[in-house]
This record gives sequence, C-alpha cells and structure tokens, in this order.
Amino acid sequence: MPSTTDSQRMPLADRLRRGLSNGRITSVLILLPPALILFTLFVMLPLLESGYYAFFDWNGYGEPTDYVGLENFERIVGHSVFHTAAANTGKIIAVSLIVQMPFALLLALLIYRKTPTNAVFRLIFFLPYILAEVAAGLIWSFVFDGNYGVTASIAEAFGAESLFILADRDWAFVAILTVILWKYFGFHMMIYIAALQGVSNDQIEAARIEGATRLQVVRYVQIPAIKPAIAVSAFFAIIGALQVFDVIIPLTNGGPSNTTHTIVTYLYTFGLTRLNIGFGSAVGVILFAVAVTIAVFYQRVFMGRSES
Amino acid sequence: MAEVRLNNLTKRFGSVTVIPELDLTVPDGSFTVLVGPSGCGKSTLLRIIAGLETPTEGSVEIGGADVTREEPSNRGISMVFQSYALYPHMTVAQNIDFGLRLSKTPAAEREERVAEAARILSLEPLLDRKPGQLSGGQRQRVAIGRSIVRQPKVFLFDEPLSNLDAALRSQMRVELAQLHKSITTTMIYVTHDQVEAMTLADQIVVMNAGRIEQVGAPMELYDKPQSEFVAAFIGSPKMNLLPGKAVQHDEVETVGIRPEHIRADTEDGDWPGTATIVEHLGADTMAHVKADELGDLIVRLPGHTRLSAGDRVFLTPERENLHLFGKDGRRMELNV
Repeated sequence: MPSTTDSQRMPLADRLRRGLSNGRITSVLILLPPALILFTLFVMLPLLESGYYAFFDWNGYGEPTDYVGLENFERIVGHSVFHTAAANTGKIIAVSLIVQMPFALLLALLIYRKTPTNAVFRLIFFLPYILAEVAAGLIWSFVFDGNYGVTASIAEAFGAESLFILADRDWAFVAILTVILWKYFGFHMMIYIAALQGVSNDQIEAARIEGATRLQVVRYVQIPAIKPAIAVSAFFAIIGALQVFDVIIPLTNGGPSNTTHTIVTYLYTFGLTRLNIGFGSAVGVILFAVAVTIAVFYQRVFMGRSES
Repeated sequence: MAEVRLNNLTKRFGSVTVIPELDLTVPDGSFTVLVGPSGCGKSTLLRIIAGLETPTEGSVEIGGADVTREEPSNRGISMVFQSYALYPHMTVAQNIDFGLRLSKTPAAEREERVAEAARILSLEPLLDRKPGQLSGGQRQRVAIGRSIVRQPKVFLFDEPLSNLDAALRSQMRVELAQLHKSITTTMIYVTHDQVEAMTLADQIVVMNAGRIEQVGAPMELYDKPQSEFVAAFIGSPKMNLLPGKAVQHDEVETVGIRPEHIRADTEDGDWPGTATIVEHLGADTMAHVKADELGDLIVRLPGHTRLSAGDRVFLTPERENLHLFGKDGRRMELNV
C-alpha cells in the first residue's frame, strides 16, 4: 500500500496539517471526547476502583481502611458456594453451547425463508428474548409453583404428589437452565436466520443439482457459510452465561441452600446484600478476569479464523 | 448425450403467467442458446429443465425419459450459474469433487476425473486455492469443471459470462465453443447478449414474454427473421425498422433493412437524408442518417468513406434484402 508508506514517511507537522485540512483530525477531536469521557467515568474508573476495593475488608461506607491483601480472594476460592456458583455458570455455558445453539440453528433452518408464516413463527420464538428478565423469571416462578402453577396442575392431572421444583435441590437448577434456554434461544435463532438469508441461493441449488440431500446441503453448504455467525453467537452465549443474574433472583434467589447461584448472583448475595463490598469487588475482579481471558482467547482462536 | 424435449410447457407464479405454452426440441449434441430480453422467461425455462422449478403444466423429457417430476440430481444434467455458486470454504479441487463425493464415487475415479477436468480447463496450478483467491475467469472455469466431472447428459448455462469484463468474456466464449467441440454434449445456454448467441449457438431460440419467437441457426435468424422482434433483437448494430410507406405497399406495416444492405451516394438515391453522426471504426464506418421522410437509420459503409456529420446523403436499399412485416409483426413474403 504505497499511500500508507508515503504518509508514514511524511513529517509529523505535514501529516497534522493534512489531517486538519481534510477534516479527519477535527472530526476525531469533536467525536472522540464524549465517548472517551463516558467510558472512563462509568467503565474504567469503577473497574479500577473495584480492583482496589478487592484488597480491603470494607462495608461500603466511608473510606476503605482495613487492608487485607489477598484475603478476600482466598475466602472466595475456599468457599463451597462459590464452587457451586462457578460450576453452575459452567453448566449454563455447556447447555447454551450444546443444547441451545443447535436448537436455535434447527429452528432457524426451518423458518429462515421469507414467508408470512415464517414471519409469525419468528416473532413467536423471539418473544421470550424481548421480555424483561425479571418478568420472565416471575412468569416461570408461577409456572413452577407447586401449589397453583402449571406443574401443580399437571401433577394433579396425573394424580401425582405436588411438585415443588424450585425448592428441590436436584431440580431447581435444571428449571433455571430451562428458563435460560427458553429466554435466549430466540436471540441465537435470529443471528442464524440473518446469516442463512445471506447464503447464496445459487450455492444451495448447485448442491441440489450435485445430488445433495437437504441434510447434506445444511452440512456442506449452509453451516460452513454461516460459521462466522455461529462463532459470534457462541461468543455471546459464553459471555451471556457468565452474566446470568436477573432470571435467577425472582425464581430461586440462589436457593434452595445456595445451590442455584451463578457467579453474579453469588457476588450480589455475598458481596452487596451482606455489605461485604470488598469481598464482592474481589468476586467482580475474578469474573472480569475470566470474561476478558475468554473474550481475548475466543477472538484470537475462533473469530479471527472464521473471518479469514 | 441426449435430446431435450419440452412439451406443452406452462409456468405460472400465482396469477402471473411467465411461460404461456411452449414446445421446444433441443437436438442431441447441439449448442442451443436461449436468448431474449430480461424477464422473457428464458432463465425460468432453464430452471424448469434443471428441475429447480416445476412446470405448472406440460412435461420435460431428457434422452427420451420423462423427468418432469425427477429431482435435479437424477436428470443427468449439470448447471453453471451466473454467480458461479462456488463454495468459498472449499478448495478448487474440493469444489470440483463435491458432486462425486456426494455420489460416493470411488476415490481413485474421483481423483482421475478431477485431474481430467483440471487439465481440460487449465486449472491444475489452482487446485489447492480457495475461490476467493481466484479471478472471475478462473472461478468461471472452476464452475464449468464442477459440471464436467459429473459427465452429464446435458449442460445448462445460466448467463455464465455476464459477470466478466468484455475482454475475458470474449476469451471465455472461445473456450466454451472449444469445450463443446471436444465433449460434444448437449448444451443449453441462456443469455440476453445476442452476440454470445450468434457466436456460440448451433441453434438459437429467441424468446419474448415467455413465448418462442423463432428457433433456428444463427444465420437463418439473421437472414430471415420471422418477426419484427427477432429482426430487431438479432444483429449488431440493429436492423433499421422503417414505416411501411418506405415500400408503398398497403399491407406492410414495417420495413426492415440491415445497415450493411444500404448503399449511400452523395448525389442520387431513393431515400434522401442528412448524416447526423459518423463513426469511423477502421474497417467500417457507421453513419447515422436522418432520412427526410423515414426517420433515423444506421448505415454500414466501407472504412474509408468520406462522410461527415451534416452532409447530405442519398440512400438506396438493396431491394432483395428488405424484410417486410405485417400489422401482426410477422414476416411477409412479397415482391416490392
């Protein structure tokens, strides 16, 4: 690229003059500060502060003075509820990748073509995603209610004993996974639908002429063509799984016996509600580190490759 | 190799009739070009032959067998698309090999056939590349290679050259003609470019609004167009179409005369006029003339004709080369 080399060779003053005259530097000077200021004030500073608080035993009032070093981190690592929360977060990631994404892809393949019927189905499947998380949680808490809910009616119809799923240590988190699956599959489905609509129809027809079955078209033509979209959707699934919070609070609030916490509800319950701001900050730092590591690793390994 | 027959074919999309009713025979081993303006139904017809569209009525026969309800893959056809339809994630070799892999052809045979196709199309050095790394012409050759390896009874081409630039287009045209000569399989080729039709075809099918206007050899269509539409569509520059009064015959609505069938003189002739634009092309000179009574005409004159815009010019048509069309637009055989 000769133009780049030329501009690199040019003296700084000349480059600045040219930048000012063609408006590039001016637009940068005008447009960058608001975003930069907002990002610094509301993202970078709180982040750095919580990194700082993580080393204190602090209840959130006054200045943090009780420096405890890595004690908060030690407590987290040794806390069995944190282990459960981390395992639950892992389960959400696994279910998102192994169950939710294939399910969303299957539905997308069924309804990606632009027809009026498909538009209706798309809307129906997308509805759970539009719904506020807390509202969704409340709706499902009624569904799972052992006295008056749908599960109660079903149990009654079969003459079985009433089920209190959300109060059952073995089944409560399964119920939560179901709600998460229901809530977010529409989002992934929409990503796939948009990608599938971009696949050239000629390629699909060419494959049909070559003798490909419907399944082979999906396997050899459509899925490879939408790989970048799958990579993006998996990325959102993982990052989203790390942040699950508002669905759980109205459903179980982390119970029974702290078995349904995720890392974020753990942070909220043991950090914020118990006024252990230093401890909560330490959980936040761990979560942030994990999220950044995954994001960087994922971008490098999967998304870079799929783009090339 | 196979003959393709379309019997009483009709195609409707909802209430829109794209092909009213059509019969066509594509002879075994011929290079048949379907040509017509955009939206005339030629691509739909090709897709019906391929099995990508189902006819509303009528039947499709390939090699004597009725394939109207057959899947595209069971018809013994292969198709080259305008967009090439290559798979971007597969290498050239994998693209060519795709159909054979699906049909579970033995590996040794697959390799042999891919190598043979690559040799015919000079693709050997490119076999490991992805389509994204190829030029338009190379991609086109890969698409053709993918068709060749299947050893189809009929090749279908849907405007395969329209995405290429002019120079590459004429080069690929020659390559396609050579390919047809070497493999002598029936080829059906759709284009809106009459130059492609004239240069490639053994048989041209001119279509207009879903109907066949005329079927014939290129020069047959050029010399004896059966309708005003064919007369105007085939030939470059276009045939001059003049009002019937040019021949003073009541039944004649339109008179056609090709640019090369008009003589020009500076002193005497049947149709006086004024030259408006004169294009010197080297071997030929194209003169656009505004005839006093008949309107605009194009005349093809020898390369070194001395004529400038604004000059008075007298045109005389070669009577034996006049084409006469009646009120219905059909050809009339009359002596005028």
